[in-house]
Amino acid sequence: MAATFFGEVVKAPCRAGAEDDEEEEEERRRETPEDREVRRQLARKSLATFHLGSQSAPWTRDTNLRSSCLSLPQCRDYSGTVPSERFLSSTPSGREVRLLRRQTKASLEVALLEKYSCSRFIIAVGNNAVAFLSSFVMNSGVWEEVGCAKLWNEWCRTTDAVHMSPTEAHCVFYHLKSNPSVFLCQCSCYVAEDQQYQWLEKVFGSCPKKNMQVTVLTCRHVTDYKTSESTGSLPSPFLKALKTQNFKDPVCCSLLEQPNIVHDLPAAVLSYCQVWQLPAVLYLCYTDVMKLDLLTAEAFKPVLSSRGLKGLAKNVPQSTEILRKLMTANEVQSNIYT
Amino acid sequence: MASRYDRAITVFSPDGHLFQVEYAQEAVKKGSTAVGIRGTNIVVLGVEKKSVAKLQDERTVRKICALDDHVCMAFAGLTADARVVINRARVECQSHKLTVEDSVTVEYITRFIATLKQKYTQSNGRRPFGISALIVGFDDDGIPRLYQTDPSGTYHAWKANAIGRSAKTVREFLEKNYTEDAISNDNEAIKLAIRALLEVVQSGGKNIELAIIRRNQPLKMFSAKEIELQVSELEKEKEEAEKKKSKKTV
Repeated sequence: MAATFFGEVVKAPCRAGAEDDEEEEEERRRETPEDREVRRQLARKSLATFHLGSQSAPWTRDTNLRSSCLSLPQCRDYSGTVPSERFLSSTPSGREVRLLRRQTKASLEVALLEKYSCSRFIIAVGNNAVAFLSSFVMNSGVWEEVGCAKLWNEWCRTTDAVHMSPTEAHCVFYHLKSNPSVFLCQCSCYVAEDQQYQWLEKVFGSCPKKNMQVTVLTCRHVTDYKTSESTGSLPSPFLKALKTQNFKDPVCCSLLEQPNIVHDLPAAVLSYCQVWQLPAVLYLCYTDVMKLDLLTAEAFKPVLSSRGLKGLAKNVPQSTEILRKLMTANEVQSNIYT
Repeated sequence: MASRYDRAITVFSPDGHLFQVEYAQEAVKKGSTAVGIRGTNIVVLGVEKKSVAKLQDERTVRKICALDDHVCMAFAGLTADARVVINRARVECQSHKLTVEDSVTVEYITRFIATLKQKYTQSNGRRPFGISALIVGFDDDGIPRLYQTDPSGTYHAWKANAIGRSAKTVREFLEKNYTEDAISNDNEAIKLAIRALLEVVQSGGKNIELAIIRRNQPLKMFSAKEIELQVSELEKEKEEAEKKKSKKTV
């Protein structure tokens, strides 16, 4: 832009490269479909209100999700009131966690583990944990899908939260046909903080049965592991365990030391189990390769001897071979690293 | 805490870390494994071959590169960074030859590469090279050399070492199995390199690439057949050793 002698401001070419700036500006203004969807969801959220305990607080964009405590069950009132219905009624449909039946694809009216009796519940979060369970546990028995959890958040690749295709179910639940009280969940998507509470409600219900043991498998990058040693000297991948107070069985590896913490859905599940006094253990694999990797998936092998997975893996050498084929099939050709 | 000191590599953290250099070392771990062994009369470089796409020309995907007739190098980490470092090293080798009419020593070229890497840890607006290198060769005095450099710009001489993914496992194997007897014979040194790689390489010999330099001889790259031959010899030896063991227990 330039000012003329007569006081007008006109568009003029500039040797300082204003044209490039304009192009950059134009690119910044151009919105991607993801941006549009996020804006739509945020606009809907800004209209919803919810109750925090006895207070009524308007939900605004500035509301800090972490301080809302709705994603962490410890902050809830467990004396009997169930604020979940109030929460669900105010949740915009785009971020709702829907639990669907397998055959009819209709929503489940009650929580999954209230509908079915469960003695062992194994949850795999993340692609390496999912690959491990698929190869070692699911290939050793006949598992039947009982439902799936569909959800959308900013991390999902699809931009249409409402019309997600049936093949994009991200959390799938199975039970073992020969022993229907053994359940397994393969969760390969990211469950956002504001959705974790819904997920727990829809899976576990408001009053979970005490005779259930929960095992969670997940991965984390080794640089998140806080230790006085240098990360270069750590033998990654390696396994660490974190258990609830009611978990009395021996663990398959050393316990996670302070000040390390657990994040996301595994943390929510473990917190929920701790509050409801359920025996639960989390096996966390610290790895330097976050994408699908054979060594990382195989690092979970010691867990096969735990009570939660005992008897579920039959042919370990064959399962290792299946895991290898899965890795090769999923390998994405990349020339960045050699 | 770390995030406050990530942005400019010239900034130390309160406990003396240069996080960008440490992150570069993480990038090295993303590259496939490379192992180097210094024998009595031979130096060996073995690498885990990266799987090549169907339509990709395999010839252009190389982890072992010659820097001069008597020096070669294997790297692990960012491919593009390796290309830049190798080009600079090759130019330096020729420039040295033209200037002083002598070939570079292995230590000289290693020091050159390490100095180059160190410069990039101390300049604004630049990031460190995300590669570690194993440099092998023979000097004019006929002594075999093996050096390793890392993104920080340090370099050390080694008898045997590994870099890249699973380097720790391979190094532990070498610590247990590297003996003077094992490396006195050229063939044994080659087998040691292959055995070390087989500890971590999936699907055996077809994913291994091997290069050797013998005293007063040029670099030799092993063909796939030659590697398969070595691998099958190793498997036979392993079977025989197991048979002997089971006879002893009986």
